[in-house]
Amino acid sequence: MSADATDHHDDHHHVLPFWKKYLFSTDHKTIGIQYGLAAGAFLLFGFFLMIVMRWSIAYPHEPLPGYLSWMFTDGWKARWLDDGKVTGETYNMFGAMHGTIMVFLGVVPLGFAAFGNYVTPLQIGAPDMAFPKLNMASFWVYLAGGLLMCASFFMESGAAKSGWTNYSPLAGYADRQIVNQFLAGQTQWLIGLVLLITSSLLGAVNFITTIIQLRAKGLTWMRLPFFVWAMLVTGFLLLLAFPPLEAAGIMQLMDRVTGSSFFMPSGLYSATDSAPMDISGSGSPLLFQHLFWFLGHPEVYVLLLPAIACVAEIIPCNTRKPLWGYKPMVWAVIVLGFLSFIVWAHHMYLTGMGPVISTFFQTTTVLISVPSVILLTSMIISLWGGSIRFTMPMIWAAAFLPMFGIGGLTGLPLAFNLADLHLHDTYYVIGHFHYVVAPGILFGLFAGVYHWYPKMTGRFMDNFLGHLHFWPSLICMNLLFFPMLTQGMAGFHRRWYNGGEGYIEKGSEGVNVFGRTVAENISINEVMTGAAIALAIFQLPFLINMFISYFWGKKVTSDNPWGATTLEWATPTPPGHGNFTFDVAAYRGPYEYSRPDHDSDFFPQWEEPKRDAPVEEPAEKPEKEAPKA
Amino acid sequence: MEIPFIVNVRKDTGLINSKVGIWLFLASEVTLFGGLFSGYLFLRLYADYPWPERALPVLPGLINTFVLIGSSVTVVFAWAALKMREWRKFQIYMSITLVCALIFMALKGIEYKAKFGHQAVQIDGDGPVQGHEIVEGHVHYAELDKDGQIHEVDKERKKEDGVFSANRIAFKASELSFVLTRPSHEAYVKEILKQAGDSHTITLKEAYRVINEDELYKGDLNRTELLESENALIADAGAELSTDVLDDLEDAYLDARSHDRKVRTKFLAASWDWIRDEEGIDEAATYVIEMDLWKERRKEDGEKLKIVTLGPVAEVTFTIDPPLTLVLKPGDLVKVSDVDIKLRDDTVAKGEMLPSPIIMGVDALDFRHTAQRAEAEELDPFPVIEQTWLLTHKAHHGDEEEGHDADHRNEFKKIWDCHMAWLKAETARLKTKGREPSMNDKFRVNWDQIIAYRDVNEELEYDAKMVYEYASDPDDDLVLYSSGLFDLKGFAGANHNEFDFPHLEIPRNKVGFESTFTPRWNTYYAIYFTITGLHGLHVIGGALVLGYYLFFGRKMYDSNPEWLANRVEIGGLFWHFVDLVWIFLFPILYLM
Repeated sequence: MSADATDHHDDHHHVLPFWKKYLFSTDHKTIGIQYGLAAGAFLLFGFFLMIVMRWSIAYPHEPLPGYLSWMFTDGWKARWLDDGKVTGETYNMFGAMHGTIMVFLGVVPLGFAAFGNYVTPLQIGAPDMAFPKLNMASFWVYLAGGLLMCASFFMESGAAKSGWTNYSPLAGYADRQIVNQFLAGQTQWLIGLVLLITSSLLGAVNFITTIIQLRAKGLTWMRLPFFVWAMLVTGFLLLLAFPPLEAAGIMQLMDRVTGSSFFMPSGLYSATDSAPMDISGSGSPLLFQHLFWFLGHPEVYVLLLPAIACVAEIIPCNTRKPLWGYKPMVWAVIVLGFLSFIVWAHHMYLTGMGPVISTFFQTTTVLISVPSVILLTSMIISLWGGSIRFTMPMIWAAAFLPMFGIGGLTGLPLAFNLADLHLHDTYYVIGHFHYVVAPGILFGLFAGVYHWYPKMTGRFMDNFLGHLHFWPSLICMNLLFFPMLTQGMAGFHRRWYNGGEGYIEKGSEGVNVFGRTVAENISINEVMTGAAIALAIFQLPFLINMFISYFWGKKVTSDNPWGATTLEWATPTPPGHGNFTFDVAAYRGPYEYSRPDHDSDFFPQWEEPKRDAPVEEPAEKPEKEAPKA
Repeated sequence: MEIPFIVNVRKDTGLINSKVGIWLFLASEVTLFGGLFSGYLFLRLYADYPWPERALPVLPGLINTFVLIGSSVTVVFAWAALKMREWRKFQIYMSITLVCALIFMALKGIEYKAKFGHQAVQIDGDGPVQGHEIVEGHVHYAELDKDGQIHEVDKERKKEDGVFSANRIAFKASELSFVLTRPSHEAYVKEILKQAGDSHTITLKEAYRVINEDELYKGDLNRTELLESENALIADAGAELSTDVLDDLEDAYLDARSHDRKVRTKFLAASWDWIRDEEGIDEAATYVIEMDLWKERRKEDGEKLKIVTLGPVAEVTFTIDPPLTLVLKPGDLVKVSDVDIKLRDDTVAKGEMLPSPIIMGVDALDFRHTAQRAEAEELDPFPVIEQTWLLTHKAHHGDEEEGHDADHRNEFKKIWDCHMAWLKAETARLKTKGREPSMNDKFRVNWDQIIAYRDVNEELEYDAKMVYEYASDPDDDLVLYSSGLFDLKGFAGANHNEFDFPHLEIPRNKVGFESTFTPRWNTYYAIYFTITGLHGLHVIGGALVLGYYLFFGRKMYDSNPEWLANRVEIGGLFWHFVDLVWIFLFPILYLM
């Protein structure tokens, strides 16, 4: 690296004490792992909440079985369970927190913050992030926000209970009976959210600056691995989409703490107090939805892009051929990022925005499927004609493609106004979204874990346990999520805590035509719940694998065990503080596999061209050379 | 390990890291304030009440605008001084910047303080549109007299014990019921005990009994027997209210409930096992296990599955002797009726509502909401206004003695008549210019107008005729204190120390909605406080960073002055952004 003699940091001369090395570290790799572990813990917790909910859906009249209820204290059970059964109130609370935890505390930190932190600086040949202290701060702010949200489970009010979207006026009214509003779960959710957003903003600024400023010599824009491009776009999404939600969060906080009426319309009447609410009114619930979904939709791509990024790295490495359509993919991800800002109101077709606005958002939503399809298709075509090595990461990556495909394609009907009238807020939406996130995004991230684990620890993860993790997960995920699509079309509403039983009763009175279709499909709830529990069990091999491979896994024999081409494999294993041991530079594109003019089947970016080979100067100008397909 | 491009620029981008960072950060700030500004637009466009236009005193805002612009200039000078390595100049310019920040925040503080102490009441009254007239002003002070009635006291006594703002609710309570599932009523209990003092006793009405857990499994006792045992007594009748007693009751209740739930859960689970064995797993899902089934099971398998549930009562009642007049803030109550009130934590007090008027000095009358509602029902607003409670109510008997002639109008009707006279003259004046009076002109009487209508007559009587004469005379205008830009008497709005404003007592049943001028009052003040508050936090944050460079920058200046200059430049960019936000805020909040 070009060193600035004037920059002076002398702390790297000493051996750092434990708390500085592992706890308050400014090293992007340690922070990445911290993010990964914290996010993993949150994911497991969110998963647990979901199983409790699924139990209630399948067996609404049965007490929670011992293997689920042992987590709760007697006092907690007395307050929140009805004779051991999940109450509607508790279900709402768990539902709200499941969504919040999975999205804000689990997948985003795992995909963007953990993988992004660990891999991005390595792939661009940087010694660290541009602002290491800021990086550390953003992790701790994230953790504080997350813990604050979860701590409210143990308070009198319980945790937030108005859905992960936190729509007002419901969210403005919940927990009003708590005298000190700062001790109400619903308020702490907002404070936690503001902290999380702050953390994301710091992270996004850091990522983008790092990618713009700290690329190694010769690493021009079109030589960046796709992973880095995806992180750059993700960074911009977080940077520009999150603040409006922060504004909404602050306004809702004002509604709760100062009694203002940003999102509270006139004429609200409280049934529990049998009195009109003592507020000024004239606020707009629709405003909250606009501000929320202005973040909410880009957020979906914040979830998705890191997973696609991992898969796009793993596929060329394991097919031993360049990524098909690298340039179109780069442009597609940029267009995707841009379009994701103007599709948000397709979540709000049923709010009565009017047909003109609905039509606009329908159009943009259909448009955004074009770049998404380019990304997915390019990766599928990349498989064509390759000699695929079915390593553990590749198996996950290969499963990602069809699973994410189902998730994406089931989204199309939701883009259309008319179809959405029927499907809105049904299990169809849940099925669609979970296909994208669980077997889609999470599979991609699992692939990433198996792929970069050797770089992080110097040991491979175990293959047998890997298979024991993969195949049951694949089967259970489909058993869990596919029936949701049919249930949704049969009219199952997403917020029924008893799986639709109450609806059958109503239906049998002839109130609603869906009573019959619900009755026909309700028994599959038990299969889905069984699949969810099995899915939980089959995550154990993964946890065991992570742990035992760290100590007893097969050691890597070189710094580049997969025979990959990008710069992170040029570092020592595991990389030390400062990452590179030599002055790293990039001489070619990121996916130079199986070049006919090269003797091995991969040609790393950092390998200097031979004297007698055709001259390939480190290009100073971008777009000079495309990777040869 | 060194991070490159901290001091020197990267060649192909031409930037240092922190400059990229700050521009990105500012981009996100733009969307943050963008969200808030779009909130402003949304709320204003869809407001179902007359949006307050030019409701804030312009002068402090205007001064602040120039102060911030000035500071943006000096921060650039400070940076330039550093670039030229002139430390002394840097110190001077940076100090001026910080002083500007201080002035800004001080003015902001004055403005906020005036708002927090300024009360508004929307009256729910008579007439075709239920009034909805609004009065603004300062709440006076009151205390309880010997009979426990609210009684106004002089302003000088406001700091004394037992004196409170005259907008509280007085309720003569003889009974208090607490809900035991809400362990957070500590604050209210302390307040109630404080008001009770030594002269009232608050005691438990009936003994509270649930069994302690240890006793439960000793024998085959049934519930009645259990509850009669010695250990069942948690608090005897006549126990005095304290937070400790309530805590004990709550703990006992929660323990008992927890026990019940545990027993019932166990039994329910066993019943399910039984059903599954008997009927097979598929049919089981259709069962709803009710108590009947439990009883049936109990008969069959009574020995193994003993269920003794305690059924603790979740509510305890205390009696107050003699009945105590509680003085409570309206915001702590979620329900008020003649015989009971409900506090926010679901505590209910039973007794008798006392007259709890809001007593205030009124500095503005606002009939815009009345007019808007009248127009919505296609009525002429002026006759509707004439029928409102504010203009028709019979004045306080104290005032009546003074007015010994046949004038039965109350003070506000007199003011309104003056206003009508002024409006007539003003409409004529505007007509010559081809304009029409605004909603504000027509239906709102501002504090300076009230003073001017009164001061027009040497005897300080409201005189509509003279108002009309003055207002229609082009050479001789009414004295309006807010029109002189630098008249500091009305710097932050109506000044109650300077002027005497008309006195009004609003009975509680006429109070529709009341609040100080805080975010609670309406969405305009909500967005005003939110945006300016957030902007103020940015000013403080920016000033702290710049202050750090000023006071702790010398060491870096000596070792690496260019790095310090870069930092000041970054801080300055942020400072410019803060200034820019204010330049947008000032017109939309103060002028439009």
